[in-house]
Amino acid sequence: MQYIVNGSESDHRTSTGLNNRKLLMWAFLGSDSMFFGPLIATHFIHRGKSLHGPIEDIFNIPVTTISTFVLLLSSLAMVLALAGIQRGDLRSFRIWTATTALLGMVFIGFQMVEFTEFAAEGLTPRTSLFGSTFLTLTGFHGAHVTVGILWLWSIFFASFRGKIKKENSLDVEIAGLYWHFVDIVWIIIFGVVYLVGTYGVEDRLIEHASVIGRLIG
Amino acid sequence: MAHDTEEHHPATSTYLKIFVILSVMTLIEFGVFYLELNSALMTWIIFALSLAKFVLVVGFYMHLKMDDWRFRVLFVAPFIIMILIMIVLLALFSNLTR
Repeated sequence: MQYIVNGSESDHRTSTGLNNRKLLMWAFLGSDSMFFGPLIATHFIHRGKSLHGPIEDIFNIPVTTISTFVLLLSSLAMVLALAGIQRGDLRSFRIWTATTALLGMVFIGFQMVEFTEFAAEGLTPRTSLFGSTFLTLTGFHGAHVTVGILWLWSIFFASFRGKIKKENSLDVEIAGLYWHFVDIVWIIIFGVVYLVGTYGVEDRLIEHASVIGRLIG
Repeated sequence: MAHDTEEHHPATSTYLKIFVILSVMTLIEFGVFYLELNSALMTWIIFALSLAKFVLVVGFYMHLKMDDWRFRVLFVAPFIIMILIMIVLLALFSNLTR
């Protein structure tokens, strides 16, 4: 037996009763979590193994906490955009979608400033194991956020051409799922890489110096 | 057999409450970081708070709590596999590169 899902004009009849596009997005998010998990594990495996270049002591935790807060705020704006389009309130949808995209751009701005400062202090992907694993992980996350920003602006402008309306709010919901996913990935990166990773870094710097001393001596 | 896939999304007030909780948890994480705690205790506190924030965003903002159970399976199953991969990677390679 087949069913129409969510009553949307853009939806198809499916044998599962679930919308295929939403199913695809959840499957993608599940697989994407398997992409980020090993990157985080790789970063942790090589933690404290760099023999030269800066390590976690160059993190600016207060600034990163602010950028984390910005991304959390963008997630709130995203659900408000979805709630707006589900009510048929196009104005609310546009305001909150633009807010989400702008907050995402602010987050990317923070990341660009951070990467520039790190490069000035000598940390690049080529510098050390720490530089390679940290910048690969956070760089891929930043790339995901950038894709999300482009997606949000595309649905924002599509709404002016009459392509986003209450009947196909699923288009917004799917974009929202992606956006919240980049938020949850950052929640983990902030907690595990920035906070736990930096804790006790002074002790590791001392250990680091003694290892180098032994190698030289 | 009829499927009720039209999930009921929370009210705006619920979204705002979740945001306040997420913000408070982030501030607690920030505060805990500057406390002179035992490293293991601090790690577990941060892990617990990160997990709680993760569950709140996935459950309420991504509506997985209210959505069809098959979406939950589709996301949670690979997530469990991811955790297992991380544990195996850490177990195998942490010692090898020491």
